[in-house]
Amino acid sequence: MSLSTTPRPSALAYFCTSALVVAASAAASDISARPARVAALELELSLAQRPEVYLLLNPAGRTLEVKIRGVTLDRVPLTGIKIITHAPVFGGRAVSPLPLPAIWRLVNGPGDTDREYIAPTELRPYNPDGYDDPPPGTPPTRPGTSPSTGTPLPEPPASYRAQLDTGYDLWITTTLPPQGFLARASAAVRDGWQRLRGRGIHLPPAITLAMAKEDAVRLHHLMRSNMAILVLAEP
Amino acid sequence: MGADKPSVPTPPLPARPRWILGIAVPALALLVVVVGTAAVMARFGHAYRAYPLVASVAGKADGDARDLERRAARASAALQRLQPRGTYLVVDTYRNRLHVYRDGELLRTAVCSTGTGIVLRDPRNGREWVFDTPLGERIIENKRRNPVWAKPDWAFIEEGMLPPTDPNERFDDVSLGKYGLYMGDGYIIHGTLFKSLLGRRVTHGCIRLGDEDLEFVYNATPIGARVFLY
Repeated sequence: MSLSTTPRPSALAYFCTSALVVAASAAASDISARPARVAALELELSLAQRPEVYLLLNPAGRTLEVKIRGVTLDRVPLTGIKIITHAPVFGGRAVSPLPLPAIWRLVNGPGDTDREYIAPTELRPYNPDGYDDPPPGTPPTRPGTSPSTGTPLPEPPASYRAQLDTGYDLWITTTLPPQGFLARASAAVRDGWQRLRGRGIHLPPAITLAMAKEDAVRLHHLMRSNMAILVLAEP
Repeated sequence: MGADKPSVPTPPLPARPRWILGIAVPALALLVVVVGTAAVMARFGHAYRAYPLVASVAGKADGDARDLERRAARASAALQRLQPRGTYLVVDTYRNRLHVYRDGELLRTAVCSTGTGIVLRDPRNGREWVFDTPLGERIIENKRRNPVWAKPDWAFIEEGMLPPTDPNERFDDVSLGKYGLYMGDGYIIHGTLFKSLLGRRVTHGCIRLGDEDLEFVYNATPIGARVFLY
């Protein structure tokens, strides 16, 4: 079931070299004026030396890249990047600037926690003829071959939060919350009502990335504990 | 002696203003109560507030311009060295696609099936298996024609059965297809009997391919090749 047997030049661009590497080698003199870029390069090297996938958040370029060994596997355009606090409408403290570039790690990711469980209540003695029937449309199998699960899995959510080791959350969503006075006031009234009923929630401040729904869904499974996110500094 | 003037009867209030008054006063009172309550709840309730992502300079890249240039060149060269050469595979576990590259050139894209991410729990002891295709980098450690699958315990427990006591009952020489590329820890790129499920997340962590694609991948990929899974 091949989709393509010929090389596609566009795929080369897709599987491109690190933007950091290109930037670094193309403008060495420029680098000297940008210590943050050198620091980011060295941080990326520390991540690329391990056989693990990492994310690169570029606030200036409004992109989130999925990378390994310095190469970009996937790139997601962002429609918004904000730090979002959940605070009283009147008062509250402004967030302080974040030391960047930096590596953040997920402490608790939805890719780990939002899982379906199978738990048979009891096990019957082994019987080679006792397997379930294969799903419709599959060829007959000999006894002892499992058809595995053919049931479609539920689609991951398009809005979810993950804890970061910085004390912030990472909030992946499709739209940033509205910031008009009326919208915020009505949200505060609703939240106040929930608090009166003893259902108030505490939400830590979140680095919020807004993106297309398909992209948010696609990234969900990557948000696992200990996933590293390299965050570049604004230029 | 004048006759009393007949008193002028005061006209009764029109019905409409009284009716309006009867509605307006309670409505106004209700409005005051509602707005007051809302104000109190808004005082204690929280709402989202957005701030720009502002960076303070991290102090890790101190040094003079020449030193910075040296460090940048060193890191850049080291990153270039880490990038793959020769034949390597890239597996997109969300879209269920396997790409074969050689020196950066895409040779083939194949539809595959990857892990469900479901967790299976053994009712006897609570042991759990996560049916994930691993993320990150793997190496093709071994390749085999006509691979035989030694079914682990979970393959039986998933079906609601106790694992067999006879080890011979575990061997399956059909399910994996004609070729197997072994990535370690029991993860294999192999064939499938269930071709209608290709393109879906249905496996226990292995990567399933159709027959033609499997043969291509088997022939194109040497032992030691890198596999990037994301």
